[in-house]
Amino acid sequence: MNTRDLVLIALFAAIVVVLGFIPPITLGFIPVPITAQSMGVMLAGCIIGARRGALSFLLFALLVAIGLPVLSGGRGGLAIFAGPSGGFILGWVVAAYVTGLLAERIIRPGISEGRQFIGFFLASVIGGILVLYAIGVPWLSAVTGTPLLAAATGSLAFIPGDFLKAAIATLAARAVYAGYPLLPARA
Amino acid sequence: MLTSLYVEGRSWFHRVPVRAKLIALLALSIALFTTNSVLLLLPAFLVCGGLYFSLGLTLRQASARIGFIFFTILVLAAVNLFLVPLPQVVALVLRLMALVFFAAAVTATTTIGAFMDEVTFLLSPCERLGLLRAADVSLALGLVLRFVPDIFAHYQAISEAHRARGLPIRPLTIIGPLIILTLKDADTIAAAIDARGFRRQ
Repeated sequence: MNTRDLVLIALFAAIVVVLGFIPPITLGFIPVPITAQSMGVMLAGCIIGARRGALSFLLFALLVAIGLPVLSGGRGGLAIFAGPSGGFILGWVVAAYVTGLLAERIIRPGISEGRQFIGFFLASVIGGILVLYAIGVPWLSAVTGTPLLAAATGSLAFIPGDFLKAAIATLAARAVYAGYPLLPARA
Repeated sequence: MLTSLYVEGRSWFHRVPVRAKLIALLALSIALFTTNSVLLLLPAFLVCGGLYFSLGLTLRQASARIGFIFFTILVLAAVNLFLVPLPQVVALVLRLMALVFFAAAVTATTTIGAFMDEVTFLLSPCERLGLLRAADVSLALGLVLRFVPDIFAHYQAISEAHRARGLPIRPLTIIGPLIILTLKDADTIAAAIDARGFRRQ
C-alpha cells in the first residue's frame, strides 16, 4: 500500500466522522431519521473503491472500539459492539467492500452519464443495503433473541430511508467522480 | 473536538491492565451467552452495573453514554414480549445490559494510548506475515485525529456558503464539495509524509 492510499483511507474515515455532525434529516413519511453518517458506506465504496473503502471503515470501527465518540450523536466505545446493533458496525466494512467491488466493475471511463448513475445506485443498494442487512439483522437476532423473521420485518421500516440514502450517495459519488475521480486508480 | 470517552480516575478497575479487561469482556460475553438462568444473569447485571456506576462518572454522564443502547434493547424486548416466553425475555435483557455495562466500563477506564499498544500487540502476527504494518495503523489513526477538525472547518465553510446564497443546508449539496475539498489534499499530505520519511520506504 502506498502512502497516498493510506492517506485516502484515513481522510475518508475522518470524513465519515464529520458526517456524524451533520444534523439528521427527518421525513414525515419515513419513521426513522436519516443520518448522513450511514451514507458513508455507500460513499466510501463508490468513491475510493473496494479495498480502500473497506479499510477506511475498518479504521472507523477501530476508532469506535478504542473509545472515541465518532458515531453520530457522540456515541462510541466497546458498548456499541456489545449492544444489539454491533453487527451493523462490522457489517459496514463488508458493505463498503461489496459496494466498491460493484462500482469498480460497473463504472468504466467511457460509459455514459446515465449508466454511471445506474451503476452507482445499484452498487449502493446491493452493497450498502442488501449486504449490510444480511449481516446486521441475523447478528441482532442472535444477540437479542428476537426471531429472525420479526427482526427482518422490523428492519423494513428503515428501507425507504435507505433507498433515499442510496439516491443521495449516487448523486454525490457521481459529482465526485466527475470532479476528482479516484475510483479507477485501484489500490 | 474528538475527546475520548476515557474518564480520569483512581478506581481499582482503572489499574487493571487493558489486556486483562479485554479478555474478561470476551470471557464474560461467552459465559453469559451459555446460560439462560435469571439466577445467574441477575447478579451479573448488578455487578456490572455497580462496577460501571462506581467509576467516577456523574450519573448524568454515565446514563448519556449507554442510554441509546438501552433504549434499543428495551424496544427489542418489548417486541420480544409478544414472540418469546417472558423468562427468556428477562434473561435476554439482563444479559445484554450486563455486557453493555461491562464494555462501557472498559471504555471509560482505558486510555487511547493503552488501547493502541494492545492493537499493536494484536497486529504483530499480521506484521510478521507481512500483511500490514502496525505503524501504518497508528499513522492512519493519527491522521484521522489530526484532520477531523480541518474537515469540520470545510463543512462549516460550505454551510456558510449555502447560507450566504440562501440555500437550505442539505446533505446532498454538502457531501460532494466536502469530499472533493478533503480528498484533494491527499497528494500533498502523502508527499509530506514521505518527505519526512515516516514510513521508512
